[in-house]
Amino acid sequence: MKEFNYFAPGSVEEALELMKEYEGKYTILNGGTDVMIRLRERLINPEAVIDIKRIPGLKDITFSKKDGLYIGACVTCKELAESEIVKENYPFYAQAASVLGSQLVRGRATSVGNVINASPLADTVTPLVACDAKLVVVGPEGQREVSLVSWAGESQEERIARGAFFIFVRKVGLKPGEMAIGLKIPYVEGQKAVFTKFDRRKEVDLSTVCATVGKFGDEYRVAIGSCAPTPIRLPKTEALLKGKKLTPELIGEAAELAGTEVSPISDIRASAEYRVSLVKVAVRRSLAELSV
Amino acid sequence: MSKYVGVSVPRVDGVKKVTGAAKYVGDMKWPRMLYAKCVKSPYAHAKIVSIDVSAAKALKGVHDVITGDYYTKRGGLYLEDKNFLAVNTVKFYGEPVVAVAAETPEIAEEACDLVKVEYEPLPVINNPMEGMAKDAILIHPELHTYKVVPIFHPQAHTNISHHHIIRKGDADAAFKYAEEHPDEYYITEHEYHVPHVQHTPIENHVAVAQYEPDGKCTVWASCQSPYAVRQALSATFDIPLNKMRIISPYVGGGFGAKAGTTIEGIIIPLAMHCKGRPVMMEYTREEEFVNSYLRQGVYTKIKTAVRKSDGKFLAVQNNFYWDGGAYTEYGVNIVKASGFASTGPYEFDNVKTDAYCVYTNNPVGGPYRGFGMCEIHFGIEQNIDEVAKEIGMDPIEIRRVNGLAPGKSTGTGEIMKSCGFLEALDQVAEAIEYDKPCEKPSAPNKVRGKGIAGGWKSPSQPTNAGSAAIIRMNEDGTFFLMTSGHDIGQGSDTALIQIAAEVLCCDPSKFTIRTGDTDHTPYEWQTVASRITYCAGNATKLAAEDLKEKLLDLAQIKLGYIKRELYLEDGWIINRNHPESRMPMSDLALGLAFEDGSGYGGPAIGVGTFTLPNNINYDPATGYSPKPAAFWTTAAAGAEVEIDTETGVIEVKKMVESCDPGHIVNPELYKAQVEGGMMQALGTVLFEELKLKDGKVLNKSFVDYKIPTIDNTPETFIAMGVEHPEETGPYGARGIGEPAMVPGAPAIANAIYNATGCRFTEMPITPEKMLKALQEKAAAEKK
Amino acid sequence: MKTYHVDFFVNGEEYELDVPANKTALNIIRDMLDLTGAKEGCGAGECGACAMIVDGVLINGCLMLAPEMDGKHFETVEGFADEKGNLSPVQQSFIDHAALQCGYCTPGFIVSATALLRENPHPTREEITHYMSGNLCRCTGYKRIIEAIEDAAERMNGGAK
Repeated sequence: MKEFNYFAPGSVEEALELMKEYEGKYTILNGGTDVMIRLRERLINPEAVIDIKRIPGLKDITFSKKDGLYIGACVTCKELAESEIVKENYPFYAQAASVLGSQLVRGRATSVGNVINASPLADTVTPLVACDAKLVVVGPEGQREVSLVSWAGESQEERIARGAFFIFVRKVGLKPGEMAIGLKIPYVEGQKAVFTKFDRRKEVDLSTVCATVGKFGDEYRVAIGSCAPTPIRLPKTEALLKGKKLTPELIGEAAELAGTEVSPISDIRASAEYRVSLVKVAVRRSLAELSV
Repeated sequence: MSKYVGVSVPRVDGVKKVTGAAKYVGDMKWPRMLYAKCVKSPYAHAKIVSIDVSAAKALKGVHDVITGDYYTKRGGLYLEDKNFLAVNTVKFYGEPVVAVAAETPEIAEEACDLVKVEYEPLPVINNPMEGMAKDAILIHPELHTYKVVPIFHPQAHTNISHHHIIRKGDADAAFKYAEEHPDEYYITEHEYHVPHVQHTPIENHVAVAQYEPDGKCTVWASCQSPYAVRQALSATFDIPLNKMRIISPYVGGGFGAKAGTTIEGIIIPLAMHCKGRPVMMEYTREEEFVNSYLRQGVYTKIKTAVRKSDGKFLAVQNNFYWDGGAYTEYGVNIVKASGFASTGPYEFDNVKTDAYCVYTNNPVGGPYRGFGMCEIHFGIEQNIDEVAKEIGMDPIEIRRVNGLAPGKSTGTGEIMKSCGFLEALDQVAEAIEYDKPCEKPSAPNKVRGKGIAGGWKSPSQPTNAGSAAIIRMNEDGTFFLMTSGHDIGQGSDTALIQIAAEVLCCDPSKFTIRTGDTDHTPYEWQTVASRITYCAGNATKLAAEDLKEKLLDLAQIKLGYIKRELYLEDGWIINRNHPESRMPMSDLALGLAFEDGSGYGGPAIGVGTFTLPNNINYDPATGYSPKPAAFWTTAAAGAEVEIDTETGVIEVKKMVESCDPGHIVNPELYKAQVEGGMMQALGTVLFEELKLKDGKVLNKSFVDYKIPTIDNTPETFIAMGVEHPEETGPYGARGIGEPAMVPGAPAIANAIYNATGCRFTEMPITPEKMLKALQEKAAAEKK
Repeated sequence: MKTYHVDFFVNGEEYELDVPANKTALNIIRDMLDLTGAKEGCGAGECGACAMIVDGVLINGCLMLAPEMDGKHFETVEGFADEKGNLSPVQQSFIDHAALQCGYCTPGFIVSATALLRENPHPTREEITHYMSGNLCRCTGYKRIIEAIEDAAERMNGGAK
């Protein structure tokens, strides 16, 4: 690690001021489970590290059926995985939080950090994308909400124009000087979803493919991770399923279609072909589970 | 009748290790210590055109910057082919080129960034076949001039640093005969590949060197073999042995990675420039993956002739092409071991083996638990299953027909004496109920299968490798046992104490063991080769016997009975016929004291030295040796796997293993060794591969190089043993640490085949490869 | 070099130090306090050798910056035996089951297992393996570690579920 200045602001305003002062030369430190590695490997060499964990209010978890779930930026994956509110109303999200990294990492890592990192394989992101969740950000121009949904087949330009959060790998729709303070996750009465993670080793691994497939009202939503530059929803597959009763035939058809909608790459962890196979399995198994 | 050998004495280092009190090199600090870092090559093969260290030297806090030119003398254990810092060319990606010593690790790192090296890339040799090609560029053009231990045979003007030959019977004639009698004999050929893997001890390599004004060089190193390190470094840096001290405290796992010399050779020349200031170097995990030894990759071809009627093997032809990496100073010996063990634990009358150690531009190969055996048995044991299937025979039966047993002859012509291989095989088959169908899979999309495999290993060490031990008795009847057999986790401290305790009939709690300091603890060739219980154990037993004899010599004067009448028990020397005539052993700690005040005999100390008995060099033309190694430990493993046919995910549900460790010194520690070996085998066959592209390591972290976690522990995970005592072993013991790992990988591969019908000739068998094979098989069956 | 004043507790003892920003909590505890039970095996949160309990939560000490330590309570392996040196049930159980070999990962395992049994006094085997899988051991094959934790649960809390 190179030298840097460390700040632990006591309020969002203070944090925003520091971000202005060190514009382009700061890194926000939350759980640190990614930032610390990037600092150590000198992939980032900021002048200022702004630790937001001492800002009051960023640990909130609130829920109502009307407003859905609110998760503060500094809520850890351990807290999410153990939260009765989350387990009861968004069990698939709690499950995703419970398989991110290891128990040790989950004690520090946050779902908001997982989002901000903008890795296509982020474990806690597909549940959020499936729920149409929004990231709450504040900046010089005040507070706003940014959609986490990106669609398969959408170009980067379209995402930017639409004001989406995930644009590309590690490229996000935040404006200069903005920071995330929480997540808003809508609730749909009777919502049900299945989270899947396929990896090389069952525990403590990055996803080869992760997915959240769910039924929200009369729509089915299919969110896939690690199969495109960002986590994505599959519009054609969702359209095929919309309003229909799940039969084995429809499930099979949807799984095959999902396989055509994703565009994974081959990398050191898996080939594109294998990822496509896993997407089909994830979609098929999830829909089968939703159909019972 | 034995009281302390054969008993599960708790580990003597347990309390220190569970409280965090055990000190490893990285836990130690020295006043005015400096920190070293290296500039590493970004090329797998390149000429060094120029190095500019001026900016690094000028940086505040930097004490020394050295390049390979500073010490151009090559070093190496068996073949002196290695420079610790590259000289003229870099031969692998990540090879250290420049080393820096500075006040802090951060300054050292910054200084490294300031070094400018200009390279001229050279063609890269990616694998042994490329290295053996006729027009291949020579990685070591001066190989023919290198100093080499005469049992190795580098081929001048090639990339082959050792060619090991075994010729038993007449394999060519046997194959010809089999070809001419196709009704009677079956001939088959199979190929396998094992990639590079990493040891990944949880403690990375770390060492500290201090060079004092009087020329004394002290090195604290996380190393397995302080004496071998001392020898190698003394030769490289021209420091006499009495001025070179290697201290090895607790070592956080070795598995072979810490057997030779690595970073010691970089920090010694730095320390020589730093006026007595200690210089520390600690690998990062990334460096550990690239810059410590790798397990060498190997390409294997096996041709087998077998009699159809009963499965009796007629002949085997093995070709092993080892990927030695950029330097093979240690790797040549692994290739030798693969030669003399090339038959596996089976009898063949006709054997033709050619094992080649080939230079490539991959990172440096070296010793890894199993020393070549895990790699070749992945082929040998799958080949046997394939042969059995092709002639319609049961895989266990074919092993029973051909398996080694007392009186049978090995590939080098040695006649086996004590050997429980077939018994171990039966024990394993019974434990996993090989003859019964598998349990029902846990889901309809899953399939199950069982597999078994055998294995063997002997220590591949110089035929005259030696060990020494000293036991001192204290005034209160407690003891210091000193050896340089190093406990790197395997439990040798406990086992050696048990052996001493057994001879001296004193509770093990009365003993403290001291190891790992070449100025103070006596000679041990190396802690490798599963040799410590056997070699250091023999030395310890002799030292204890020596002490016992000396005590009895004095006691017979004191007690007035001839010493054959006396025996030891719980700290007492007692007369067999007159038990009331007795004295505490501790009364003799400083010699014998007479009533008039005079004394005799001096402080009680026992010395034991041990050299391998009658190990004989092989004949280079045929590989023949009636006794190439100290002993053979045989083993068998069984596994039951469950495979998700839609995702390819493989889960090992059951794993069992039985070895023949001779007489077991400590049953729980024995089982712990076997379990560790089984898990490491499971890791290699399912997950582990150091991925290399043009010599560059692509997965140098635990993020992308996965080893097993606690979650991978099979539900049924059983270590067993059969005990056929080794006649030359202490209390009949032989080594177990490495053999325990040998049969696990092929047992799992055979189970996967039996579950799916998919044969994998390459490890690791990842979910992706599994699914692809299932899809290809389904497609083929459709046609 | 700029430093940051931090006031924190390790195993109940208070420390006040000035620490640089670009060091980890693990560095500080090992290098400045000489509590070397926690180890650095990877520096990247992948091996668990640096496991410590901070304000009751199990974390990787290598992933926390030194200035973050201010006001926090750390527990490391050195804190588990009592004043008389009696080992904790987890420590004793690891010895009794021969659940350690080279010992380098052992402090991390002891810390993680202690945290587990506080949070979940009666863990199932699956709960043990899920919770403990951030701690890598290359020597033991893990079976004995599972048994040691089950046995420690028994000793402390009257058994696994």
